[in-house]
Amino acid sequence: MLHLFSYVSARSKEEVLSLLASLPEAALIAGGTDMVVRMRRGETHSHLIDVAGVPEIAGIEAQDGRLRIGAGATHARIAADAAVRKVCVALAIACSQVGSPQIRHMGTLGGNLANASPAADSLAPLLVHNAEATLESAGAVRRETTIEALITAPYKTTLGENELISSISMDALEGYEEGYRRVAKRAAWAISRLSCAWAIREEDGVIADARIAVGSCTPVPFRPHQAEDFLKGRRREASVVAQAVGIVLDEIRRLAGMRPSFVYKLPTVRDLLTSALGGLSCS
Amino acid sequence: MFIGEDLDRVDVLEKVTGAARYAQDFKTEEMLFACVVRSERPYARIVSIDLSAAMAVPGVVRILSHREIPGEKVYGAIIRDQPFLAAGIVRCVGEAILLVVGQNEKAARLAAAKVRIAYEDLPSVSGIETAGKGEVLVYASGSLMMRKRVRKGDVEKGFAESDVVVSHVFRTTYVDHAYMETEAGFGWMDEAGRIVIKSSTQNIHYKRTEVARMLAVPEEKVRVLQATTGGGFGGKLDVTVEGFLGLAVYHTGRPVMMRYTREESFLSQTKRHPMRIDYTMGAKKDGSLTAVKVDILGDTGPYASYGGAVCLRVAVHATGPYDVPNVWVDSSFYYTNGPVAGAMRGFGVPQIAVANESMIDEIALSLGIDPLDIRLKNAMKQGSATSTGQVLSASVGFMETLRLVEPFWRERKKSKKGQGFGLGCMYYGVGNTGVANPSGMLLELGEGGRIILHSGVCEIGQGSDTALLQILLETLGMARSEVVLDRGDTDTSRNAGSSSASRQTYVSGMALYDAALKLREALELEGYYRGRSLSDIYRARKGEAPLFFEGYFNPPVSGLDEATGQGVPYATYAFATHMTEVEVEEATGACRVKKVHAAHDVGRGINPRGIKGQICGGVAMGIGLALMEEFVPGKTESFDTYYIPTSMDMPEVVTMVVEDPEPTGPFGAKGLGEPALIPQAASIVNALRDATGACVYDLPCHVERLKGLLEARKKG
Amino acid sequence: MRRIAFTLNGKAVECTVEDNETLLYALRERLSITSVKEGCGIGECGTCTVLIDDEPRYGCLTLAAKVEGRDVKTVEGLGKADALHPLQQFFISGGAVQCGFCTPAMLLVAYSLLLKNPNPTEAEIREAISGNLCRCTGYVQIVEAIRDAAPLFVRIGP
Repeated sequence: MLHLFSYVSARSKEEVLSLLASLPEAALIAGGTDMVVRMRRGETHSHLIDVAGVPEIAGIEAQDGRLRIGAGATHARIAADAAVRKVCVALAIACSQVGSPQIRHMGTLGGNLANASPAADSLAPLLVHNAEATLESAGAVRRETTIEALITAPYKTTLGENELISSISMDALEGYEEGYRRVAKRAAWAISRLSCAWAIREEDGVIADARIAVGSCTPVPFRPHQAEDFLKGRRREASVVAQAVGIVLDEIRRLAGMRPSFVYKLPTVRDLLTSALGGLSCS
Repeated sequence: MFIGEDLDRVDVLEKVTGAARYAQDFKTEEMLFACVVRSERPYARIVSIDLSAAMAVPGVVRILSHREIPGEKVYGAIIRDQPFLAAGIVRCVGEAILLVVGQNEKAARLAAAKVRIAYEDLPSVSGIETAGKGEVLVYASGSLMMRKRVRKGDVEKGFAESDVVVSHVFRTTYVDHAYMETEAGFGWMDEAGRIVIKSSTQNIHYKRTEVARMLAVPEEKVRVLQATTGGGFGGKLDVTVEGFLGLAVYHTGRPVMMRYTREESFLSQTKRHPMRIDYTMGAKKDGSLTAVKVDILGDTGPYASYGGAVCLRVAVHATGPYDVPNVWVDSSFYYTNGPVAGAMRGFGVPQIAVANESMIDEIALSLGIDPLDIRLKNAMKQGSATSTGQVLSASVGFMETLRLVEPFWRERKKSKKGQGFGLGCMYYGVGNTGVANPSGMLLELGEGGRIILHSGVCEIGQGSDTALLQILLETLGMARSEVVLDRGDTDTSRNAGSSSASRQTYVSGMALYDAALKLREALELEGYYRGRSLSDIYRARKGEAPLFFEGYFNPPVSGLDEATGQGVPYATYAFATHMTEVEVEEATGACRVKKVHAAHDVGRGINPRGIKGQICGGVAMGIGLALMEEFVPGKTESFDTYYIPTSMDMPEVVTMVVEDPEPTGPFGAKGLGEPALIPQAASIVNALRDATGACVYDLPCHVERLKGLLEARKKG
Repeated sequence: MRRIAFTLNGKAVECTVEDNETLLYALRERLSITSVKEGCGIGECGTCTVLIDDEPRYGCLTLAAKVEGRDVKTVEGLGKADALHPLQQFFISGGAVQCGFCTPAMLLVAYSLLLKNPNPTEAEIREAISGNLCRCTGYVQIVEAIRDAAPLFVRIGP
């Protein structure tokens, strides 16, 4: 049984922002796959504003070399979208593996970000794509923030009380070898224990751009920039890859200390990234 | 011809249309709701209970404690030691303390949450090793609940004569039944003032006995009905909601309903016993097994539940289905303040099978013998003597199961990295171990000339209702339309025992066959088989000759010697071989089960479709046991933190049936429910060794553990 | 309390619900649709699956108020005992039902799949039902029943 709250279904973005500004103790709900579980476990709100039916935040569109995905787009739609599958491959794969088919039809990208679980599948791909979230509030107030700045700790965001994530924009990557892998305790419908996203572009036999993100390993998913910089300009050889992977593992240890789960997580990151960076498919 | 036919399940129509009524689907106007206040401490004295806030919740009707129990305050399937409601002391987290009855679920649960209990913690015992030391005790009388022994031959001599001896310690942990339907039921008082309870259950007569004892009324004053039950697997054998419902109805006189939330089910219901199995096996260099020595420790929690049955059964089955001349087994089950461990599909044999099947593979490996060949060499057959000295005189289809799997085993080919193949075999005594476990069945030539089967057998999804119907129709030579099924009611049925130990097809099937023979004989004399109609016969017999025909069967077994375990614990055994192919991704430690060949000796197959369903379900549960299921007290809450296999975790399954008829079984049938599960985890463990070289001694071997084993192998 | 109006199994229905009520609760307690089950209440078992606009959703995570104006289907709308849907027929003949607790949800998911994908592979079927747990069958005969029913699939309703 959920605590009592008052529910309103918003029909436009304007309405959402105005309700957020005027209703006390209000929270947003889209698919409800996180919110309802949290409420069943004791979380309370006076008002719930349903954004699932708001058209302005549902779209997916290409815009100046970037892709903009509405926060209300479900994981299922994102995974099936032709544009996403072309220029944001890692995100398409990640969204196709979130939860179960029912969860994918209910849960949204915005909800995934707002919940900010350290195991959220969308995060590593979004980092690889230099994603930025657009946050809006009443009175035409808008700001952009990187994912790193939005999610600061497990289940903690810098989202203001009256702010709505309206969309997320990200680099559209073409000509990259891109992928996403997650590790979980069963074949489907399980929390990520570990995830990696990557996008590599080679030019003239040399790595022109290397983007890597590791999730569920450190308190928040991160891009090991030092390893990425190391790779740029080098050939894609075993020794180079091994060194880069070593730099990633050092970065993980620096960020998180030594955790019991690292007995298995670090070798797994090592092996997954070695395959991915070495150009061997392990998807 | 009904035996061996795919007769549609008797309950399938209501299940596919959504019309089937499970316990929580019933609603009456003045129905109250009851829920339980449970202990938050593992071992504590209850210092005080403050009900003021709870009683102030609008809609609260009564809050009941052990003081309101008029009769017996403890229950138990074998040893009666478990309080319905705690009396001053709690011995595990989740133990029931109070029963709150409210006008509706919301009021009851709200009130329950507002009960304030002050505890005084006592030093608690967690884990088998701690219990074994005996320094901290749950009971002053000692930490050992039970010890069972099997002694055959001379193991020291056997090991001395061995060319190879292997020895390892295996560990398994708590596993949950995880049936899709949680515990639920409702109760009411009928016009005659009797207490009636309808619940999700695996037995009805046992529940009636316990409720009657608790309320200090004769059994005839209590009636128990089985609702359509959404799975049991051993978790609905003990009293769950029935006692609480009886108490609530007794005190309020109103209809009362209960259902456990999933969190509550995980928290409070019995679990599979965690075990520590110290296993030593010896063999000669030609592969013949010489000796087996096993020391088993089991964690039974604070109350016995079915711990005694598990303790004994696991000792009896410790060698696996092989001829072993020298056997030494000690099976010791200890009291702890962990979750109550009880009956779960297989009663300990799935765990011990992992150990003995691993050991025989390790012996095969060290001798350079193929794992199938070593099993063929040592396989039990007709004339073999078990570890308890029982000579198997009939229905030993083990070799045939090995032979069915053989062509697939011989042609196995590892074509990619991480691929592996493993064998797992089992035998399983059908029925309760070394004790009487009879079944009674009742047939009636009823009004209008219908045959009524009055059955006390609890259908829990395994297909017992349908199998029994097929046995009946075959014996009588009648059409389906001539028989009416009246099932799951203590008022109209005889005690058929519990749906457990894979016993219903065999024991109740035979009791039904017994009744059916008597009815058939009567019908013969009445001219039915010469064309006279049942309604004519009914009219003629009514008031003149019996219309009821009773059947009875109690498998012929003997008790086991206390010191040596020698005796005849079961009248028949099922046998099986599973061959499992796995694919391990070394980078991540992920293990995918790709294909299973499962060959089962069922004695005689009653319903082939049902047999396939049981085997596939058993394979799924075995995958869970081997690769993902672990209940962690304090951490596991619900299905978000307890993983059972999904459709994408399942392999391709090829099911094969052996029929080595059991002379004492109905048309030769034995049992399958638990055998379906038992060999699977063992075969996965062996396949993992084949795929990676890693030896798995701790279950579950989930992705993180397997990666750890792979890394360790790389280093050392 | 609010009044919601939606289509349930092809019929227009109206129902008064609390704002904090789930669709699971509204269907079971107010509309007596007991085929939709509560197996866990947190969207981790699938027994509460309903179809909303022919897409599978967890009823325990869906607020009742959300289905205003939508099309909702439960297994009661799939077929009756004297007029079974091919999916129900193949579940019967395929041995896909044991304890039956997951069955209504499995049938709905299967219906939704075949509506979109008339000729699914076994892998696609397994993926479609990967959000529905079953403890009895091991899924094998469920997948086979869906595969075998596909050629005879019919759309329900007007």
